[in-house]
Amino acid sequence: MRKFLAVVRHEYRKVVMKWTFLLGTLLFPVLGLGFAVIPAFIFSLKGEPTRMVVVDRSGKIAPRLMANLSAESVQARMREAAQPAMKDISSTQDERMRRGAKQMSSSVLFVEYAAGGKSREQIRAELNLMAADNDIDAYLIVPDNAADPDARYEFLSRKAGDFVVSDMVKDALNEAVHSERLAEANIDETQLKAISQEVDLDTKSITQRGEEKDSESLFIASLVIGMMIYITLTIYGQVIMGAVVEEKETRIAEILFSSAKPMELMFGKLVGVGLAGLTQLGIWVISLTAIVGFLSVQSGTAEMLSGIPRVSPLMVVYFLLFFLVGYFIYASIFALIGASVTTPQEGGQLAFPAIMLLLVGFYFSFVVIRDPNSSMSFWVSIAPFFAPITMPVRILAETPPFWQILLALGLNLMAICGLVWLAARVYRVGMLMYGKRATIPEILRWVRQA
Amino acid sequence: MPEAEVTLRVESATKRFGEFAAVEDLSFDVRAGRVFGFLGPNGAGKTTTIRMIVGITAPDEGAIRLFGESGTQHLQDRIGYLPEERGLYRKMKIVDQLRYFAALKDVPRAEADKRIDFWLGRMGLADWKLKRTTDLSKGMQQKVQFISTVLHDPDLLILDEPFSGLDPVNVEFMIDVLAEFRTKEKTIIFSTHLMETAERLCSDILLINKGKKVIGGSLRQVKEAYGKNTIALRSEGGDAALMDTALVSEVVEHSDEREIHLADGADAQVLLKRLIEAGAVISKFEQVEPSLNDIFVQQIGGAK
Repeated sequence: MRKFLAVVRHEYRKVVMKWTFLLGTLLFPVLGLGFAVIPAFIFSLKGEPTRMVVVDRSGKIAPRLMANLSAESVQARMREAAQPAMKDISSTQDERMRRGAKQMSSSVLFVEYAAGGKSREQIRAELNLMAADNDIDAYLIVPDNAADPDARYEFLSRKAGDFVVSDMVKDALNEAVHSERLAEANIDETQLKAISQEVDLDTKSITQRGEEKDSESLFIASLVIGMMIYITLTIYGQVIMGAVVEEKETRIAEILFSSAKPMELMFGKLVGVGLAGLTQLGIWVISLTAIVGFLSVQSGTAEMLSGIPRVSPLMVVYFLLFFLVGYFIYASIFALIGASVTTPQEGGQLAFPAIMLLLVGFYFSFVVIRDPNSSMSFWVSIAPFFAPITMPVRILAETPPFWQILLALGLNLMAICGLVWLAARVYRVGMLMYGKRATIPEILRWVRQA
Repeated sequence: MPEAEVTLRVESATKRFGEFAAVEDLSFDVRAGRVFGFLGPNGAGKTTTIRMIVGITAPDEGAIRLFGESGTQHLQDRIGYLPEERGLYRKMKIVDQLRYFAALKDVPRAEADKRIDFWLGRMGLADWKLKRTTDLSKGMQQKVQFISTVLHDPDLLILDEPFSGLDPVNVEFMIDVLAEFRTKEKTIIFSTHLMETAERLCSDILLINKGKKVIGGSLRQVKEAYGKNTIALRSEGGDAALMDTALVSEVVEHSDEREIHLADGADAQVLLKRLIEAGAVISKFEQVEPSLNDIFVQQIGGAK
């Protein structure tokens, strides 16, 4: 037992004391924080005000436009834009960028310009000159038939690439023209707004127990859980394989085997590296919670917090159990691979099937998220190799009956027993076989031999 | 031989890998407090035998008794094993590696630290304690490896090619260190290709080939059993006596003397008499023991 603990300690320290571990552990939350905070920070930076001339001989549009571009209404629009941005991750990059831009406040400074009696060409020439002299940044020419459907508005800007400003002006102008048209048609604007209010389709799923759940945030949370387990299993499986190959390649195995039982050595390695994995996962979960907390405070919507599916302590226990089960399944597979190859490069090639298996499990979690109660979801969430990813996702999406969780645990524990037994036998013999990579028949012979 | 004096007894050990018998019906004793030379060509089954002694593998047939007990795991803590293929963790500090190896031999941490400092000092590596393996020269790594095999103060030391990769100065140094062990009444099994070194250090030897015992016993016994059939001769004239094939099987010319191999059953005294009768002026006539190297080459070379 003392030797086993020495192995655990050694393997734990070997992983944790590496700078790559520190970097990985810190980088993940820092990146997460960066993605959450940096855009918000950048968008909050105020650009220089755009100096703009509005030429409106009709006099109908300009006052409305100016009102729409006032600081208060810009702010109001920003708040409006901020809300769906948090919830919706399915929107395209472009949409998100535009929405982000709307959150960006940019002010407009109106410059007086006397246009009375001048021709359109003359006005343009004069304004272009002003722009060239850096007296103004942009100008908008409102046509005389402002409210007509075929009216042509001209917006010229020195900063043509500044889509923030042009979008803002476009939105404000649209609104102004819209209001003007309504006014001309004698329609009350507030009444129309109330009538044409979009339906708020609040998607919720009903669990078998009749509870309501927010399916959008459920989707994200399930994905995050599935992904976190998938990533950690992949990383730590390969850490195990690397450690095994190193001891084989450097012939340390020979010394180790002359000091402790192979089973102590292999199991100590699995437990030590596993604890390192739990350490990292723990740091991530805590920092993720902190980031989510920060975000919800940042966007000022306490509603966000309630959108996150409630995770009960029991669920946390389940997640932990399934993570451990998955870890031991894949770690023993990777240990087995490590013991039968001679170099890390060969290991990398042979690890591919194991990683594929993990990836398939991850993809199956989409099936589970979409319909947690289908028979497909049932099978993939109890199947060995897949359950460690799919069952936590299913538990989060909709907790299945207790016996199914128990069945999944039982089946996977059996798989662990088989795999650890197999890996230990391959490990015993393979670690002392140098020269070339073992073939499958050779590995089978080792299993019989050991 | 009473068992108390025997550190290790191998009884008809056989180890097979599939059809191939790496070790077959091998028996020998290693006496306490002796330096035992375990010799044989590559692929003779030395490493397989050592692995069985150390408890890495078990014999298919036969038994191995260590310190009077039959092979159990806890005896591993009383053995220090330096494998032929050396290995250290590449990116780990020397002190951490040594601590780990000591912990695996169940040495308490405080005691281990004391011994690590002692041995690093003894080997002149005190300044390298916090360095990593990749910073060390091959010879230094070798010494660190040796430290790892003695940290738990083993009663039986098994060294497989302990001098490979060391320069002559360090070889002498290591021989001194081993000599200290010998005076402490520890048993050393020592496997090598270097017959000169074996001859110098070992009190007992065992030569194996193709998994089987060829010769074994104390160095003296082995040499005596082999007979004194070589004569170093320095003389003028009387060469006719050397032509008699009933007496001489081979004459090897050296720069200032000749090496005479006697024919089977020939007597050195008869040859001396014949030489004098033939008028030879003899300045040297010496019966020479065969060197371990000669025995090795004859036995193994003949077998091939």
